[in-house]
Amino acid sequence: MTLTESPSLLVAGIGEMVLSSTPGDHLVAYGLGSCIALAIWDPRTHVGGLAHFMLPAGPANDASPVKFIDTGLDTYFKALEAKGAFLNRSVLKAAGGAAMLTVGGGLAIGKRNEESLRAALTVRGLTLGATAIGGTAGRTVQLEVADGRFLIKSLSSITEL
Amino acid sequence: MTLTLSEAGQNVVAGTFGRAMKHAGEALGSMCGQVIEVQTPQLKRCSAADVLTMAGGAESIVLAVYLGITGSLQGHALLLFSPADAHRLAQILLAGLLGPGELPMEETADVLAYDELELSALQEAGNVTISAFLNELGMHLHEPVQPTPPQVVIEMAGAVLDAVLLDLVGEADQVLAAKTTFSEGGRAIDGTMFVLPRADSLRVLLDALGAIGI
Repeated sequence: MTLTESPSLLVAGIGEMVLSSTPGDHLVAYGLGSCIALAIWDPRTHVGGLAHFMLPAGPANDASPVKFIDTGLDTYFKALEAKGAFLNRSVLKAAGGAAMLTVGGGLAIGKRNEESLRAALTVRGLTLGATAIGGTAGRTVQLEVADGRFLIKSLSSITEL
Repeated sequence: MTLTLSEAGQNVVAGTFGRAMKHAGEALGSMCGQVIEVQTPQLKRCSAADVLTMAGGAESIVLAVYLGITGSLQGHALLLFSPADAHRLAQILLAGLLGPGELPMEETADVLAYDELELSALQEAGNVTISAFLNELGMHLHEPVQPTPPQVVIEMAGAVLDAVLLDLVGEADQVLAAKTTFSEGGRAIDGTMFVLPRADSLRVLLDALGAIGI
């Protein structure tokens, strides 16, 4: 049996999180609109995680562990710590929270997601580093487990945070 | 609150949504002067992730015409096209409105670039199609159900759909999604229509259809 060390893609679907400590893994969340993705990477242990949050607040949910920011954040943190990440030296980056639809007063969930994430992190003594939040464009995001680079792709550009 | 329907109840709802989607396809067809085939609609209760899969995946690029649904039934309606198919549909619609030579027919290099005329034709197509759907439902409700003005968005499907899904899944894990596919002769144009009613307003419709308690 040969072991192939090919880079692999781990996808955080809506309301899901993915974690890895394997260099060469890419953690991806596709097509974020109002949802918000929080990437966390420990520069010492190179443990990375990506959570694809949907809404500010709601009951804990087994099927979608990070559906809600208020109840999902601690689940996400515990999973990262279990994998060897130390949160207080980790780099936190976030993207999403856009407002795609403006019709009928708009669905201002993206803004509420941003406010809720910042508040929840502050309570836990953590702050966000670089962000790409708000606006009216959708985003696909990718965290590189090897070096913690966080890539943001929209229809018109690719940027690195 | 989750409503549980018997199989007979589900059939009543599926039949009504099916007829309404057929009317929507006919309205789009008569606007285009073409025969539009309407696939048998799928109506199912599913998760937000399932809706994204039904739309072709969160990362697929679509032109979406979005309309909110207001009145006695509330929710969201979307028509999704691939960028190339949306151009073809716009050209067919404009051919009926403009004389020969006035048509911006040249193939654009950038499939994501649409001119004002095309966007306005696609908005109107969304308006006509979704209105025809809602008129059919309104007949059963004996009350008008109205669409908001249309908005066209060219984006990743996940980004367009997530705001709509987030509006629906705060209280529930599942949404009721109705989906059908339109195609025009030789599959030149494929479009997907989604109707996603709010659960709290669905009971009014189910009552009016007699779908509860049968």
